[in-house]
Amino acid sequence: MVVCVAVVGHQNNPLYLQSFTEADDALKLHHVVHCSLDVIDERVNNPKRNSPALNETFLGLLYPTENYKVYGYLTNTKAKFIMVTTDLDVKDADARNFFRKFHAAYVDAVSNPFHVPGKKIASRSFSARVSTIVRSFSSGTTA
Amino acid sequence: MGREVAESCVDGVVMEMVAAYCGRFYASKPELAARRIEAIGFQVGHQLTERYTMERPRFSDHLEAIKFICKDFWSELFKKQIDNLKTNHRGTFVLQDNHFRWLTRVSIDPSVESIDANENDSTSLGDSAAQTTSMLLYFPCGIIRGALTNLGIACSVTADMSNLPACSFVVRIKT
Repeated sequence: MVVCVAVVGHQNNPLYLQSFTEADDALKLHHVVHCSLDVIDERVNNPKRNSPALNETFLGLLYPTENYKVYGYLTNTKAKFIMVTTDLDVKDADARNFFRKFHAAYVDAVSNPFHVPGKKIASRSFSARVSTIVRSFSSGTTA
Repeated sequence: MGREVAESCVDGVVMEMVAAYCGRFYASKPELAARRIEAIGFQVGHQLTERYTMERPRFSDHLEAIKFICKDFWSELFKKQIDNLKTNHRGTFVLQDNHFRWLTRVSIDPSVESIDANENDSTSLGDSAAQTTSMLLYFPCGIIRGALTNLGIACSVTADMSNLPACSFVVRIKT
């Protein structure tokens, strides 16, 4: 189950942060998200030479914690997408698919002429779409 | 999901936007009008790159990003690629389009022409034509600048139209 998704701008400014848990652990999840930014920086600045996909947008598993796994995605425009999940066996293909849909939703949200670049995404339809994507991901991996 | 817009509509919108800004809102301040048109282009370019770079790996250097502008970005916008790309390898790129679509159907307003003809001054006619077309080019300049800025390349873009309908865009990357 996906517990948290985030969009972080190119200056590491948070653009969108949403957790999907009943419990009151939003702060903890936000902490996990912010920790992952360092990992992304490290991945991007010191890419493994032998890795096949040098500049791929999907960054894969960033780091596992006790309870969570954190996945990252970095667009060409340096926007970072972060997904925190409690599923322990997530297939890379599923995560990739999730981010592709998430990216599409993000693109539609920032193409709104009333959206100010660099400001938080306040669109309600974006939130609704993200919730749908998260729900379909969760049901897809457990089924 | 690709959506298309009739070319004539885009032509119409661009020309009307330029005419509105130059003739109505900032008639007395052409520089301000140019800046406003450029800013609109900037936003358009900024948002378009977000969409057009969705399915591709990240660019590793400036040249790759410029090549993207020349090939894919231009094809999406104008259904053709940039015809010639020159660079001095020190941060200046010249993108030449031999048949720039937004200039192919431009003609000078006959009322302006007749006023100029009355004055019997051929140079002023050439001047006003050049001024009108240069106003039209602020929009694509802004698009290129917005696109590159969103890709993390701060730059300035100017347009040069010495022999129409060919025109070239000069991109100077700020270091």
